[in-house]
Amino acid sequence: MGLVNYNIEKYSPKQLVIIPLALLAISIVMLGFTTLSTGMPLTPGIDFSGGTAVTIFSADSREQIQTTFSGYPLIDVSEGVNGGKFLKFGSMDDTRYKDLSALIYQKYPDASINQIGETFGKTLQSQAVLAMVFSFIGMAIVIFISFRTFVPSVAVVLSAFADMAMTAATMNIIGIPLSLGTVAALLMLIGYSVDSDILLTNRVLKRQGKLNDKLAGAFRTGIIMTSTTLAAVAAMLVVSWIGSVQILTEISAVLLIGLLFDVMNTWLTNVGILKWYVLKGGGK
Amino acid sequence: MVCPEGRREMNSRELKTMITDWRVATLLILIVLSIIAIYPHIDQQGNLASNLQYGLDLQQGAWLQLDIQAEVVGYTTDRPLSEFLTNLSTNLDAEVLQVDANHLEIQKYYSQADLEPRFVAAGGQLTSYQQGVSKTTADSVKRILENKINSLGTKDAKVNTLTGLNNVARYIRVELAGVDMNQAQELVGKQGKFEIRIQTTGNQTEHVLSGDAITSVQVPSQEPPGSNNWGVGFTLSESGAEAFRTAAIQYGATVDPSKHNLIMLLDNETVYSAPLSNDLAGKVQSENIRQLFASTGAGDYGTQQATNLEIHLRAGALPVEVTIAGSGGVSAPLGERYKQMALLAGILALVTVGFVIYYRYREPYIVLPMVLINASEIIILLGFISLIRFQMDLPTIAGLIAVLGTGIDQLVVITDEILHEGKVPSPNLYIKRLARALSIIVVAAATVVIAMVPLALMDLSTLKGFAIITILGVLVGVIVTRPAYGKIIMQILSR
Repeated sequence: MGLVNYNIEKYSPKQLVIIPLALLAISIVMLGFTTLSTGMPLTPGIDFSGGTAVTIFSADSREQIQTTFSGYPLIDVSEGVNGGKFLKFGSMDDTRYKDLSALIYQKYPDASINQIGETFGKTLQSQAVLAMVFSFIGMAIVIFISFRTFVPSVAVVLSAFADMAMTAATMNIIGIPLSLGTVAALLMLIGYSVDSDILLTNRVLKRQGKLNDKLAGAFRTGIIMTSTTLAAVAAMLVVSWIGSVQILTEISAVLLIGLLFDVMNTWLTNVGILKWYVLKGGGK
Repeated sequence: MVCPEGRREMNSRELKTMITDWRVATLLILIVLSIIAIYPHIDQQGNLASNLQYGLDLQQGAWLQLDIQAEVVGYTTDRPLSEFLTNLSTNLDAEVLQVDANHLEIQKYYSQADLEPRFVAAGGQLTSYQQGVSKTTADSVKRILENKINSLGTKDAKVNTLTGLNNVARYIRVELAGVDMNQAQELVGKQGKFEIRIQTTGNQTEHVLSGDAITSVQVPSQEPPGSNNWGVGFTLSESGAEAFRTAAIQYGATVDPSKHNLIMLLDNETVYSAPLSNDLAGKVQSENIRQLFASTGAGDYGTQQATNLEIHLRAGALPVEVTIAGSGGVSAPLGERYKQMALLAGILALVTVGFVIYYRYREPYIVLPMVLINASEIIILLGFISLIRFQMDLPTIAGLIAVLGTGIDQLVVITDEILHEGKVPSPNLYIKRLARALSIIVVAAATVVIAMVPLALMDLSTLKGFAIITILGVLVGVIVTRPAYGKIIMQILSR
């Protein structure tokens, strides 16, 4: 029993990797373009750019809210379900911020406010970037140590990189900013996206049998692995979206996108490279 | 339910063998210990309560991120060190401390460009620049803040200094449960900088010592007792007393006290100004005096002034200035709502994962242990979280849910590896296959741990806890629950 018919025998390695590689190229171009125009591959959220984020639950319309805060640098009002509203303000000096928070508490006593200063945001951002770079390098080292063969290791690391790049590009398209929460999600992705790649490589290189049988067997197990994680993350996404818990919505959305790309990158990119490697005579 | 041929209910003897297996026993003991640690109970108000601690996004509370206005700099000089330090301190009008052989801490904010010419003027060179303070100063700021917040009777306060990899602390995070952000800012943000200066000539004054030289402050008292002459006694550190004596002698306060007032400043505003008493002037001339008494006058006025001065002496005792770099707060209803949503998300995740597994295996004998093992992992993690009194916040919960999703992945790897080719293996083959499955799992676990380590080591505000919990989740899985599951599933399959 399988969720989808995955007929690996029909396709050559080249056919397998062509779609993901094209998508990867498009993603990198998009990220490069965003970097050129904004200086960052991803749009930084309040956590990194500085500013104030406010969550309120209120029946007030967008216009009413805009009027209420007309004296302040209100950048954006977005609406969740159930009357949840997310307000974003740009940076302002301490006294204005104090006035603003007083006004918010007066109008919406149950509000949640988060404010990050510009310099502090920069510090957070540089730390977050460092964390991501170190995570990725660390993951690559673990992979190379455990497989000790060049091509299969590169295949795993490349798939993980493709997961990240495609997820980041998608975040730009659908407007999920880079925040502390989404950095956490991307880091989780670095760790978790290699799960099924490791299974695949292990099965193909360390087991006896026909290549296509091994690939099919790995797929049977691997796709369930990803499905369970997807199920857990989807449950989290639905609940947090309905409940207007913005940080959880963002984290689960990023994980969901990343895991979907991971299915493609594991079973097309990684399998393609691995199949080419084995057919060429590598791995016995 | 379809039972394969030859399969029968597990008898009590088999159950006993399974439970006494050390892997399964460890798991069971850990679950029991965890439930004790979580301690779910009905509290006096009749609500369900537990030992779990919640972070500020799951309960009412506020946090403040304070930015320290000081810097740690590298230096070189060819002058005698003490001379160089004195020059620098005078030039910068700030306390300058030696951190180690090559680093100084300047307890006042200057930009690098501002400092460079001043270093040259004092006879040295600036070699590096980093905003923040040394670990020692950061710890004393932390202690002072904690004392201040606790003395004001706040329920639950946490103060953390965020020290970078180079041991320079720039940020301090203060978390206060049960107050809103404005209250928190009033409590903490208005930290004053305390300083004692001495009048030199006319209106000129010179820095003598800052608040950190004051080691303790007494409650208002009468001096001599019963005289109705009020004031506050306080104690200086050895170096503070030394600085006090040096300044008093240098500027002539010991000879002509009335012309050289001692001035106490909080945030550059004078809160107290008075000459040395003749008695004290005489004593200071000959030795370091650590016990001082600032008299404030007689009667009700004197008492009131003494009370204020006590607060100033205590509360203003931050050695460096701070500004607010970030702040935030969650109200009680919103925190409650987030908590419910997080719980709901967790339960729903477990249920959906269960359905996916059932769809794959169609065999309750396999699905049930899997889901139970998965749930036990979360219980053990929650137990650990309760034990170390870790404050759970929303990112941590996202981490827990992800642990749930990937935890079951690895159970799938074990099950499929053992059930390879649909046949139940002989014990020997079983051991071999379990080992193979575990080797896949260990590599996968290692990548997650490695991916989270940078985050756990960096003081990236709230994400540190999330990373630690994710790492713990993976470790609990690899060390405890996977081996136990391997044993259980073997017992079940071999019937």
